[in-house]
Amino acid sequence: MIQITDLNFVYPGQEVLFSNLSVHLEAGSITGLLGKNGAGKTSLLKLFSGLLHPQSGEISVMEHNPKKRQVSFLADVFLVPEEFTFPPISIRDYLKAYAPFYPKFDTGLMKETLAEFDLQYEHNLSRLSHGQKKKFLIAFALSTRCRLLVLDEPTNGLDIPSKLLFRKILAGSLEDNQLVIISTHQVKDVENLIDKILILDNGKVIFQKSIQEISQRVRFITGSSQDVENAIYSEAVPGGYRLMLPNNNEETEVDIELLFNAITKGKKLD
Amino acid sequence: MPLLKVKNSIKNMETNINFSINRLMQICRQSWIINRKLIGITVSGFSGLVFLILILSQIKSYTNWSNNNYMLAFTILFFSTGIIYSSLSFPAFRMKEKTISYLLLPAATSEKFTFEVVTRIVIFLVVMPFLFWLMANIEGIVMHYYKPEFLSYKFSLITGLQSFTREGNVKGWTTLAIIQGVLFVFITSFTGASYFSKSPLVKTLFSVSIIMGSYALFTYLLIKGLKLEEYTITSDRLLFIHNEKDAMIFSSLAITTVNICLLAISYFRLKEREV
Repeated sequence: MIQITDLNFVYPGQEVLFSNLSVHLEAGSITGLLGKNGAGKTSLLKLFSGLLHPQSGEISVMEHNPKKRQVSFLADVFLVPEEFTFPPISIRDYLKAYAPFYPKFDTGLMKETLAEFDLQYEHNLSRLSHGQKKKFLIAFALSTRCRLLVLDEPTNGLDIPSKLLFRKILAGSLEDNQLVIISTHQVKDVENLIDKILILDNGKVIFQKSIQEISQRVRFITGSSQDVENAIYSEAVPGGYRLMLPNNNEETEVDIELLFNAITKGKKLD
Repeated sequence: MPLLKVKNSIKNMETNINFSINRLMQICRQSWIINRKLIGITVSGFSGLVFLILILSQIKSYTNWSNNNYMLAFTILFFSTGIIYSSLSFPAFRMKEKTISYLLLPAATSEKFTFEVVTRIVIFLVVMPFLFWLMANIEGIVMHYYKPEFLSYKFSLITGLQSFTREGNVKGWTTLAIIQGVLFVFITSFTGASYFSKSPLVKTLFSVSIIMGSYALFTYLLIKGLKLEEYTITSDRLLFIHNEKDAMIFSSLAITTVNICLLAISYFRLKEREV
Protein backbone atom coordinates (compact mmCIF):
# COMPACT_ATOMS: atom_id res chain seq x y z
CA MET A 1 0.00 0.00 0.00
CA ILE A 2 2.85 2.39 0.83
CA GLN A 3 6.14 2.10 -0.97
CA ILE A 4 8.88 4.64 -0.30
CA THR A 5 12.15 4.26 -2.16
CA ASP A 6 15.34 6.27 -1.61
CA LEU A 7 13.52 9.23 -0.17
CA ASN A 8 15.51 12.37 0.52
CA PHE A 9 13.94 15.21 2.39
CA VAL A 10 15.25 18.35 4.03
CA TYR A 11 13.48 21.40 5.42
CA PRO A 12 14.90 24.61 3.92
CA GLY A 13 17.88 25.84 5.90
CA GLN A 14 17.99 22.77 8.14
CA GLU A 15 19.94 19.53 8.34
CA VAL A 16 18.89 16.59 6.16
CA LEU A 17 15.95 14.79 7.79
CA PHE A 18 15.62 11.72 5.57
CA SER A 19 18.44 10.36 3.46
CA ASN A 20 17.75 7.39 1.15
CA LEU A 21 14.82 6.29 3.32
CA SER A 22 12.92 3.22 2.13
CA VAL A 23 9.73 1.92 3.74
CA HIS A 24 7.21 -0.68 2.65
CA LEU A 25 3.85 -1.07 4.39
CA GLU A 26 0.98 -3.36 3.46
CA ALA A 27 -2.74 -3.00 4.12
CA GLY A 28 -4.44 -4.91 6.92
CA SER A 29 -2.40 -3.75 9.87
CA ILE A 30 -2.14 -1.13 12.54
CA THR A 31 1.42 0.08 12.41
CA GLY A 32 2.98 2.00 15.24
CA LEU A 33 5.42 4.63 14.04
CA LEU A 34 7.67 5.24 17.00
CA GLY A 35 10.55 7.59 17.51
CA LYS A 36 12.03 10.17 19.81
CA ASN A 37 11.05 13.82 19.53
CA GLY A 38 12.41 15.27 16.30
CA ALA A 39 12.99 11.84 14.73
CA GLY A 40 10.83 12.84 11.76
CA LYS A 41 7.59 10.98 12.56
CA THR A 42 5.24 13.84 11.74
CA SER A 43 7.24 14.78 8.65
CA LEU A 44 7.00 11.21 7.38
CA LEU A 45 3.22 11.23 7.94
CA LYS A 46 2.99 14.49 6.01
CA LEU A 47 5.01 12.98 3.17
CA PHE A 48 2.60 10.00 3.11
CA SER A 49 -0.35 12.33 2.84
CA GLY A 50 1.08 14.76 0.29
CA LEU A 51 1.44 17.72 2.65
CA LEU A 52 5.20 17.77 2.13
CA HIS A 53 7.08 17.10 -1.08
CA PRO A 54 10.38 15.23 -1.07
CA GLN A 55 13.45 16.62 -2.82
CA SER A 56 14.07 13.22 -4.46
CA GLY A 57 13.00 9.61 -4.21
CA GLU A 58 9.69 7.93 -4.88
CA ILE A 59 6.58 7.72 -2.75
CA SER A 60 3.70 5.57 -3.86
CA VAL A 61 0.61 5.44 -1.67
CA MET A 62 -2.22 3.26 -2.98
CA GLU A 63 -0.59 3.62 -6.41
CA HIS A 64 -0.81 7.40 -6.24
CA ASN A 65 1.88 10.01 -5.99
CA PRO A 66 0.77 11.92 -2.86
CA LYS A 67 2.37 15.11 -4.18
CA LYS A 68 -0.33 15.36 -6.86
CA ARG A 69 -3.11 15.32 -4.24
CA GLN A 70 -5.56 13.77 -6.68
CA VAL A 71 -9.16 13.56 -5.49
CA SER A 72 -9.19 9.75 -5.65
CA PHE A 73 -6.16 9.77 -3.33
CA LEU A 74 -7.51 12.39 -0.92
CA ALA A 75 -10.84 10.56 -0.68
CA ASP A 76 -9.00 7.49 0.60
CA VAL A 77 -6.60 9.12 3.08
CA PHE A 78 -7.48 10.67 6.41
CA LEU A 79 -4.95 12.37 8.64
CA VAL A 80 -5.71 13.08 12.28
CA PRO A 81 -3.09 15.71 13.11
CA GLU A 82 -1.78 16.35 16.58
CA GLU A 83 -3.10 19.90 16.53
CA PHE A 84 -6.34 20.72 14.78
CA THR A 85 -9.14 23.25 14.70
CA PHE A 86 -12.86 23.06 14.03
CA PRO A 87 -15.36 25.65 12.79
CA PRO A 88 -17.89 26.82 15.40
CA ILE A 89 -20.73 24.58 14.17
CA SER A 90 -22.61 21.58 15.51
CA ILE A 91 -21.50 18.01 14.87
CA ARG A 92 -24.57 17.56 12.66
CA ASP A 93 -23.58 20.53 10.51
CA TYR A 94 -19.98 19.36 10.37
CA LEU A 95 -21.12 16.02 9.01
CA LYS A 96 -23.28 17.74 6.40
CA ALA A 97 -20.33 19.90 5.39
CA TYR A 98 -17.55 17.32 5.29
CA ALA A 99 -18.94 13.78 5.03
CA PRO A 100 -20.10 14.08 1.38
CA PHE A 101 -16.48 14.42 0.29
CA TYR A 102 -15.80 10.84 1.42
CA PRO A 103 -17.57 8.36 -0.89
CA LYS A 104 -17.39 5.48 1.62
CA PHE A 105 -18.52 7.50 4.63
CA ASP A 106 -20.28 5.18 7.09
CA THR A 107 -23.03 7.12 8.90
CA GLY A 108 -23.94 4.07 10.98
CA LEU A 109 -20.40 3.74 12.30
CA MET A 110 -20.31 7.48 12.98
CA LYS A 111 -23.49 7.25 15.01
CA GLU A 112 -22.21 4.27 17.01
CA THR A 113 -18.79 5.81 17.65
CA LEU A 114 -20.29 9.14 18.72
CA ALA A 115 -22.51 7.28 21.16
CA GLU A 116 -19.52 5.34 22.53
CA PHE A 117 -17.61 8.58 22.99
CA ASP A 118 -20.65 10.19 24.61
CA LEU A 119 -20.97 12.89 21.94
CA GLN A 120 -24.23 14.15 20.46
CA TYR A 121 -25.11 15.61 17.08
CA GLU A 122 -26.26 18.86 18.70
CA HIS A 123 -22.92 19.49 20.42
CA ASN A 124 -21.18 22.58 19.11
CA LEU A 125 -17.60 21.72 18.19
CA SER A 126 -16.19 25.02 19.42
CA ARG A 127 -17.56 24.35 22.91
CA LEU A 128 -16.06 20.88 23.29
CA SER A 129 -12.90 20.26 25.31
CA HIS A 130 -9.71 19.35 23.47
CA GLY A 131 -10.16 15.67 24.39
CA GLN A 132 -13.78 15.65 23.16
CA LYS A 133 -12.73 17.32 19.91
CA LYS A 134 -10.07 14.68 19.43
CA LYS A 135 -12.61 11.92 20.06
CA PHE A 136 -14.90 13.45 17.46
CA LEU A 137 -12.08 13.70 14.94
CA ILE A 138 -11.12 10.06 15.53
CA ALA A 139 -14.78 9.03 15.12
CA PHE A 140 -15.00 10.99 11.88
CA ALA A 141 -11.71 9.53 10.61
CA LEU A 142 -12.88 5.95 11.24
CA SER A 143 -16.26 6.64 9.62
CA THR A 144 -14.69 7.87 6.39
CA ARG A 145 -13.61 4.24 5.79
CA CYS A 146 -10.49 5.61 4.12
CA ARG A 147 -8.00 2.91 3.19
CA LEU A 148 -5.18 4.84 4.83
CA LEU A 149 -5.72 6.34 8.27
CA VAL A 150 -2.85 8.36 9.64
CA LEU A 151 -3.09 9.24 13.31
CA ASP A 152 -0.50 11.60 14.77
CA GLU A 153 -0.34 11.29 18.55
CA PRO A 154 -4.01 10.23 18.74
CA THR A 155 -4.06 9.64 22.49
CA ASN A 156 -2.66 13.05 23.44
CA GLY A 157 -5.34 14.87 25.37
CA LEU A 158 -7.50 11.80 25.98
CA ASP A 159 -8.35 10.76 29.52
CA ILE A 160 -7.67 7.18 30.67
CA PRO A 161 -11.17 5.78 29.92
CA SER A 162 -11.10 7.45 26.52
CA LYS A 163 -7.73 5.88 25.72
CA LEU A 164 -9.19 2.45 26.46
CA LEU A 165 -12.25 3.27 24.38
CA PHE A 166 -10.05 4.52 21.54
CA ARG A 167 -8.20 1.20 21.46
CA LYS A 168 -11.43 -0.77 21.56
CA ILE A 169 -13.15 1.25 18.81
CA LEU A 170 -10.12 1.32 16.54
CA ALA A 171 -9.52 -2.41 16.84
CA GLY A 172 -13.19 -3.17 16.28
CA SER A 173 -13.98 -0.96 13.32
CA LEU A 174 -11.20 -1.67 10.85
CA GLU A 175 -11.44 -3.64 7.65
CA ASP A 176 -8.80 -5.82 6.00
CA ASN A 177 -8.07 -3.37 3.20
CA GLN A 178 -7.23 -0.55 5.61
CA LEU A 179 -3.86 0.50 6.91
CA VAL A 180 -3.63 2.54 10.08
CA ILE A 181 -0.41 4.31 10.96
CA ILE A 182 -0.22 5.60 14.49
CA SER A 183 2.62 7.92 15.28
CA THR A 184 3.25 8.28 18.97
CA HIS A 185 5.89 8.66 21.61
CA GLN A 186 3.46 7.41 24.26
CA VAL A 187 4.08 3.78 23.45
CA LYS A 188 2.06 2.43 26.40
CA ASP A 189 -1.09 3.85 24.84
CA VAL A 190 -0.83 1.70 21.75
CA GLU A 191 0.12 -1.56 23.43
CA ASN A 192 -2.22 -4.44 22.53
CA LEU A 193 -3.39 -2.40 19.55
CA ILE A 194 -0.61 -2.28 17.01
CA ASP A 195 0.54 -5.32 15.11
CA LYS A 196 3.61 -3.82 13.46
CA ILE A 197 6.30 -1.54 14.79
CA LEU A 198 8.37 0.88 12.78
CA ILE A 199 11.00 2.84 14.67
CA LEU A 200 12.53 5.99 13.24
CA ASP A 201 15.75 7.43 14.53
CA ASN A 202 17.86 10.20 13.02
CA GLY A 203 15.88 10.06 9.80
CA LYS A 204 16.37 6.30 9.30
CA VAL A 205 14.09 3.32 9.83
CA ILE A 206 16.10 1.40 12.40
CA PHE A 207 13.48 -1.26 13.12
CA GLN A 208 10.47 -2.67 11.27
CA LYS A 209 8.89 -5.90 12.48
CA SER A 210 5.52 -7.36 13.31
CA ILE A 211 4.55 -8.05 16.92
CA GLN A 212 4.45 -11.75 16.05
CA GLU A 213 8.06 -11.70 14.78
CA ILE A 214 9.16 -9.84 17.90
CA SER A 215 7.50 -12.25 20.28
CA GLN A 216 9.05 -15.18 18.44
CA ARG A 217 12.53 -13.75 18.96
CA VAL A 218 12.41 -12.19 22.39
CA ARG A 219 10.46 -12.36 25.61
CA PHE A 220 9.80 -9.72 28.24
CA ILE A 221 9.81 -10.47 31.95
CA THR A 222 10.33 -8.78 35.28
CA GLY A 223 13.30 -10.41 37.03
CA SER A 224 16.05 -9.96 39.52
CA SER A 225 19.61 -8.61 39.16
CA GLN A 226 20.85 -12.16 38.51
CA ASP A 227 18.93 -12.26 35.23
CA VAL A 228 20.41 -9.01 33.95
CA GLU A 229 23.57 -10.54 32.48
CA ASN A 230 21.51 -12.87 30.25
CA ALA A 231 19.30 -10.04 29.03
CA ILE A 232 19.59 -8.32 25.67
CA TYR A 233 18.42 -5.20 27.43
CA SER A 234 17.30 -4.38 30.97
CA GLU A 235 15.91 -1.47 32.92
CA ALA A 236 15.59 -1.07 36.66
CA VAL A 237 12.00 -0.83 37.82
CA PRO A 238 10.47 -0.80 41.32
CA GLY A 239 10.83 -4.35 42.64
CA GLY A 240 13.43 -5.57 40.14
CA TYR A 241 14.28 -5.30 36.49
CA ARG A 242 12.32 -5.30 33.26
CA LEU A 243 14.20 -7.60 30.97
CA MET A 244 14.25 -8.32 27.27
CA LEU A 245 15.63 -11.83 26.84
CA PRO A 246 16.16 -14.15 23.89
CA ASN A 247 13.09 -16.31 23.42
CA ASN A 248 13.15 -19.89 24.65
CA ASN A 249 9.78 -20.88 23.17
CA GLU A 250 7.95 -18.95 25.82
CA GLU A 251 5.64 -16.32 24.35
CA THR A 252 5.14 -13.17 26.40
CA GLU A 253 3.37 -9.88 25.76
CA VAL A 254 5.61 -7.42 23.93
CA ASP A 255 6.72 -4.57 26.16
CA ILE A 256 6.84 -1.90 23.47
CA GLU A 257 8.42 0.71 25.71
CA LEU A 258 11.25 -1.59 26.69
CA LEU A 259 11.69 -2.73 23.10
CA PHE A 260 11.77 0.88 21.91
CA ASN A 261 14.39 1.83 24.49
CA ALA A 262 16.47 -1.23 23.58
CA ILE A 263 16.35 -0.56 19.85
CA THR A 264 17.12 3.16 20.14
CA LYS A 265 20.11 2.25 22.34
CA GLY A 266 21.46 0.07 19.57
CA LYS A 267 20.40 -3.39 20.78
CA LYS A 268 19.57 -6.08 18.22
CA LEU A 269 16.95 -8.78 18.48
CA ASP A 270 19.02 -11.44 16.73
CA MET B 1 -33.10 12.07 9.00
CA PRO B 2 -30.42 14.60 7.90
CA LEU B 3 -27.63 12.03 7.77
CA LEU B 4 -29.44 10.09 5.07
CA LYS B 5 -29.35 13.20 2.91
CA VAL B 6 -25.59 13.26 3.35
CA LYS B 7 -25.43 9.64 2.21
CA ASN B 8 -27.42 10.40 -0.95
CA SER B 9 -25.24 13.28 -1.99
CA ILE B 10 -22.12 11.12 -1.61
CA LYS B 11 -23.27 8.92 -4.47
CA ASN B 12 -22.87 11.81 -6.88
CA MET B 13 -19.25 12.45 -5.97
CA GLU B 14 -16.83 11.15 -8.54
CA THR B 15 -13.23 10.94 -7.52
CA ASN B 16 -11.66 10.09 -10.86
CA ILE B 17 -12.23 13.38 -12.67
CA ASN B 18 -10.30 16.62 -12.33
CA PHE B 19 -13.20 19.05 -12.22
CA SER B 20 -16.60 18.14 -10.88
CA ILE B 21 -19.47 20.59 -10.62
CA ASN B 22 -20.95 18.38 -7.88
CA ARG B 23 -17.85 18.76 -5.77
CA LEU B 24 -17.67 22.50 -6.47
CA MET B 25 -21.27 22.79 -5.31
CA GLN B 26 -20.39 20.73 -2.23
CA ILE B 27 -17.54 23.16 -1.44
CA CYS B 28 -20.10 25.99 -1.74
CA ARG B 29 -22.51 24.12 0.55
CA GLN B 30 -19.70 23.45 3.01
CA SER B 31 -18.70 27.11 3.05
CA TRP B 32 -22.32 28.18 3.51
CA ILE B 33 -22.85 25.78 6.45
CA ILE B 34 -19.68 27.00 8.15
CA ASN B 35 -19.87 30.71 7.34
CA ARG B 36 -23.55 31.56 7.02
CA LYS B 37 -23.63 33.55 10.28
CA LEU B 38 -20.47 35.43 9.35
CA ILE B 39 -21.84 36.17 5.87
CA GLY B 40 -25.07 37.52 7.37
CA ILE B 41 -23.20 39.71 9.83
CA THR B 42 -20.80 40.97 7.13
CA VAL B 43 -23.57 41.87 4.65
CA SER B 44 -25.65 43.63 7.32
CA GLY B 45 -22.60 45.36 8.77
CA PHE B 46 -21.43 46.53 5.37
CA SER B 47 -24.90 47.81 4.43
CA GLY B 48 -25.19 49.69 7.72
CA LEU B 49 -21.72 51.14 7.27
CA VAL B 50 -22.50 52.38 3.75
CA PHE B 51 -25.72 53.98 4.99
CA LEU B 52 -23.95 55.68 7.88
CA ILE B 53 -21.05 56.95 5.77
CA LEU B 54 -23.40 58.38 3.13
CA ILE B 55 -25.81 60.02 5.55
CA LEU B 56 -23.07 61.47 7.77
CA SER B 57 -21.19 62.80 4.73
CA GLN B 58 -24.32 64.52 3.42
CA ILE B 59 -25.25 65.92 6.81
CA LYS B 60 -21.71 67.25 7.25
CA SER B 61 -21.49 68.85 3.81
CA TYR B 62 -25.16 69.93 3.98
CA THR B 63 -25.49 69.78 0.23
CA ASN B 64 -27.75 67.86 -2.08
CA TRP B 65 -25.53 65.11 -3.48
CA SER B 66 -25.41 64.61 -7.22
CA ASN B 67 -24.91 61.26 -8.91
CA ASN B 68 -21.20 62.13 -9.20
CA ASN B 69 -20.90 62.57 -5.43
CA TYR B 70 -22.39 59.12 -4.93
CA MET B 71 -20.07 57.71 -7.60
CA LEU B 72 -17.05 59.13 -5.80
CA ALA B 73 -18.17 57.51 -2.53
CA PHE B 74 -18.89 54.28 -4.42
CA THR B 75 -15.43 54.24 -6.05
CA ILE B 76 -13.63 54.81 -2.75
CA LEU B 77 -15.66 52.13 -0.93
CA PHE B 78 -15.52 49.72 -3.84
CA PHE B 79 -11.74 49.67 -4.01
CA SER B 80 -11.02 49.88 -0.30
CA THR B 81 -13.41 47.08 0.71
CA GLY B 82 -12.59 45.04 -2.41
CA ILE B 83 -8.86 45.09 -1.73
CA ILE B 84 -9.41 44.11 1.91
CA TYR B 85 -11.92 41.38 1.00
CA SER B 86 -9.80 39.80 -1.72
CA SER B 87 -6.74 39.92 0.55
CA LEU B 88 -8.70 37.60 2.85
CA SER B 89 -8.79 34.88 0.17
CA PHE B 90 -7.58 31.40 1.08
CA PRO B 91 -8.43 31.96 4.76
CA ALA B 92 -7.20 28.45 5.60
CA PHE B 93 -3.63 29.52 4.83
CA ARG B 94 -3.55 31.82 7.85
CA MET B 95 -3.28 28.81 10.23
CA LYS B 96 -1.25 25.62 9.89
CA GLU B 97 -4.03 23.40 11.27
CA LYS B 98 -6.57 24.84 8.84
CA THR B 99 -4.14 24.52 5.94
CA ILE B 100 -3.79 20.77 6.63
CA SER B 101 -7.55 20.30 6.69
CA TYR B 102 -8.02 22.43 3.55
CA LEU B 103 -5.33 20.74 1.47
CA LEU B 104 -6.50 17.26 2.44
CA LEU B 105 -10.15 17.97 1.63
CA PRO B 106 -11.00 15.55 -1.20
CA ALA B 107 -11.57 18.13 -3.92
CA ALA B 108 -9.41 19.03 -6.91
CA THR B 109 -7.13 22.07 -6.81
CA SER B 110 -9.07 23.51 -9.75
CA GLU B 111 -12.32 23.27 -7.74
CA LYS B 112 -10.84 24.87 -4.64
CA PHE B 113 -9.29 27.60 -6.80
CA THR B 114 -12.52 28.27 -8.73
CA PHE B 115 -14.41 28.54 -5.46
CA GLU B 116 -11.96 31.14 -4.14
CA VAL B 117 -12.03 33.20 -7.36
CA VAL B 118 -15.83 33.15 -7.47
CA THR B 119 -16.40 33.98 -3.80
CA ARG B 120 -13.60 36.51 -3.42
CA ILE B 121 -13.78 38.37 -6.73
CA VAL B 122 -16.84 37.54 -8.85
CA ILE B 123 -19.40 37.65 -6.04
CA PHE B 124 -17.88 40.85 -4.68
CA LEU B 125 -18.11 42.50 -8.11
CA VAL B 126 -21.81 41.67 -8.25
CA VAL B 127 -22.95 42.02 -4.65
CA MET B 128 -21.04 45.12 -3.52
CA PRO B 129 -22.37 47.50 -6.25
CA PHE B 130 -25.88 46.16 -5.66
CA LEU B 131 -25.64 46.73 -1.90
CA PHE B 132 -24.22 50.22 -2.42
CA TRP B 133 -26.93 51.08 -4.93
CA LEU B 134 -29.62 49.84 -2.53
CA MET B 135 -28.24 51.64 0.52
CA ALA B 136 -27.54 54.86 -1.45
CA ASN B 137 -31.16 55.00 -2.60
CA ILE B 138 -32.52 54.22 0.87
CA GLU B 139 -30.25 56.91 2.28
CA GLY B 140 -31.42 59.32 -0.47
CA ILE B 141 -35.05 58.68 0.41
CA VAL B 142 -34.35 59.21 4.12
CA MET B 143 -32.53 62.47 3.38
CA HIS B 144 -35.33 63.63 1.11
CA TYR B 145 -37.88 62.85 3.83
CA TYR B 146 -36.11 65.06 6.36
CA LYS B 147 -34.85 67.62 3.82
CA PRO B 148 -37.52 67.88 1.08
CA GLU B 149 -35.44 70.57 -0.62
CA PHE B 150 -32.88 67.85 -1.50
CA LEU B 151 -34.51 66.83 -4.76
CA SER B 152 -31.70 64.83 -6.35
CA TYR B 153 -31.83 61.78 -4.09
CA LYS B 154 -31.91 58.93 -6.57
CA PHE B 155 -28.63 57.20 -7.35
CA SER B 156 -28.12 55.49 -10.70
CA LEU B 157 -25.04 53.27 -10.82
CA ILE B 158 -25.38 52.67 -14.57
CA THR B 159 -25.32 56.41 -15.30
CA GLY B 160 -22.30 56.74 -13.06
CA LEU B 161 -20.44 53.91 -14.76
CA GLN B 162 -21.20 55.31 -18.22
CA SER B 163 -19.19 58.42 -17.35
CA PHE B 164 -16.02 56.28 -17.27
CA THR B 165 -16.38 54.95 -20.80
CA ARG B 166 -15.41 56.66 -24.04
CA GLU B 167 -17.39 57.07 -27.21
CA GLY B 168 -16.24 56.24 -30.73
CA ASN B 169 -14.01 53.45 -31.98
CA VAL B 170 -12.09 53.11 -28.68
CA LYS B 171 -15.23 52.45 -26.60
CA GLY B 172 -14.87 48.65 -26.50
CA TRP B 173 -11.14 48.67 -25.76
CA THR B 174 -11.51 51.40 -23.14
CA THR B 175 -14.21 49.39 -21.40
CA LEU B 176 -12.01 46.28 -21.49
CA ALA B 177 -9.03 48.24 -20.16
CA ILE B 178 -11.14 49.63 -17.28
CA ILE B 179 -12.57 46.21 -16.42
CA GLN B 180 -9.12 44.60 -16.54
CA GLY B 181 -7.67 47.49 -14.52
CA VAL B 182 -10.27 46.97 -11.80
CA LEU B 183 -9.71 43.23 -11.89
CA PHE B 184 -5.96 43.79 -11.67
CA VAL B 185 -6.35 45.51 -8.31
CA PHE B 186 -8.40 42.64 -6.87
CA ILE B 187 -6.45 39.85 -8.53
CA THR B 188 -3.16 41.28 -7.20
CA SER B 189 -4.60 41.27 -3.70
CA PHE B 190 -5.98 37.74 -4.27
CA THR B 191 -2.61 36.44 -5.49
CA GLY B 192 -0.90 38.04 -2.49
CA ALA B 193 -3.29 36.14 -0.21
CA SER B 194 -2.34 32.87 -1.88
CA TYR B 195 1.35 33.67 -1.61
CA PHE B 196 1.73 35.13 1.87
CA SER B 197 0.41 33.27 4.91
CA LYS B 198 0.72 36.08 7.45
CA SER B 199 -0.37 39.71 6.88
CA PRO B 200 -0.98 39.17 3.14
CA LEU B 201 -2.35 42.66 2.44
CA VAL B 202 0.61 44.52 3.94
CA LYS B 203 3.10 42.21 2.25
CA THR B 204 1.30 42.46 -1.09
CA LEU B 205 1.24 46.27 -0.97
CA PHE B 206 4.92 46.27 -0.04
CA SER B 207 5.81 43.84 -2.87
CA VAL B 208 3.80 45.79 -5.46
CA SER B 209 5.46 49.04 -4.34
CA ILE B 210 8.90 47.45 -4.66
CA ILE B 211 8.13 46.02 -8.13
CA MET B 212 6.62 49.27 -9.45
CA GLY B 213 9.34 51.41 -7.85
CA SER B 214 12.06 49.20 -9.34
CA TYR B 215 10.39 49.37 -12.75
CA ALA B 216 10.18 53.18 -12.59
CA LEU B 217 13.82 53.42 -11.48
CA PHE B 218 14.93 51.02 -14.23
CA THR B 219 13.04 53.03 -16.87
CA TYR B 220 14.49 56.29 -15.56
CA LEU B 221 18.05 54.91 -15.62
CA LEU B 222 17.49 53.45 -19.08
CA ILE B 223 16.30 56.77 -20.45
CA LYS B 224 19.17 58.58 -18.75
CA GLY B 225 21.76 55.95 -19.75
CA LEU B 226 20.73 55.89 -23.39
CA LYS B 227 20.12 59.64 -23.36
CA LEU B 228 16.69 59.05 -24.83
CA GLU B 229 15.48 62.46 -23.66
CA GLU B 230 17.66 64.01 -26.38
CA TYR B 231 15.38 62.46 -28.99
CA THR B 232 11.91 63.74 -29.64
CA ILE B 233 9.65 60.75 -29.61
CA THR B 234 6.15 61.53 -30.73
CA SER B 235 3.27 59.29 -29.92
CA ASP B 236 3.00 58.15 -33.54
CA ARG B 237 6.59 56.81 -33.44
CA LEU B 238 6.39 54.82 -30.25
CA LEU B 239 6.88 51.23 -31.42
CA PHE B 240 3.61 49.98 -32.91
CA ILE B 241 1.42 52.48 -31.10
CA HIS B 242 0.28 55.06 -33.59
CA ASN B 243 -2.95 56.38 -32.12
CA GLU B 244 -5.29 56.31 -29.15
CA LYS B 245 -6.95 53.09 -30.26
CA ASP B 246 -3.59 51.28 -30.49
CA ALA B 247 -2.74 52.55 -27.03
CA MET B 248 -6.02 51.26 -25.61
CA ILE B 249 -5.61 47.90 -27.33
CA PHE B 250 -2.08 47.58 -25.98
CA SER B 251 -3.10 48.61 -22.44
CA SER B 252 -6.13 46.34 -22.24
CA LEU B 253 -4.30 43.32 -23.62
CA ALA B 254 -1.27 43.95 -21.40
CA ILE B 255 -3.40 44.17 -18.26
CA THR B 256 -5.38 41.08 -19.30
CA THR B 257 -2.13 39.16 -19.74
CA VAL B 258 -0.88 40.31 -16.35
CA ASN B 259 -4.18 39.26 -14.74
CA ILE B 260 -4.00 35.80 -16.30
CA CYS B 261 -0.40 35.43 -15.12
CA LEU B 262 -1.32 36.49 -11.58
CA LEU B 263 -4.19 33.98 -11.48
CA ALA B 264 -1.84 31.28 -12.76
CA ILE B 265 0.65 32.13 -10.00
CA SER B 266 -2.04 31.78 -7.33
CA TYR B 267 -3.28 28.51 -8.86
CA PHE B 268 0.17 26.94 -8.85
CA ARG B 269 0.85 28.32 -5.40
CA LEU B 270 -2.23 26.45 -4.18
CA LYS B 271 -1.29 23.31 -6.12
CA GLU B 272 2.26 23.20 -4.75
CA ARG B 273 1.42 24.33 -1.24
CA GLU B 274 3.15 22.41 1.58
CA VAL B 275 2.58 22.44 5.32
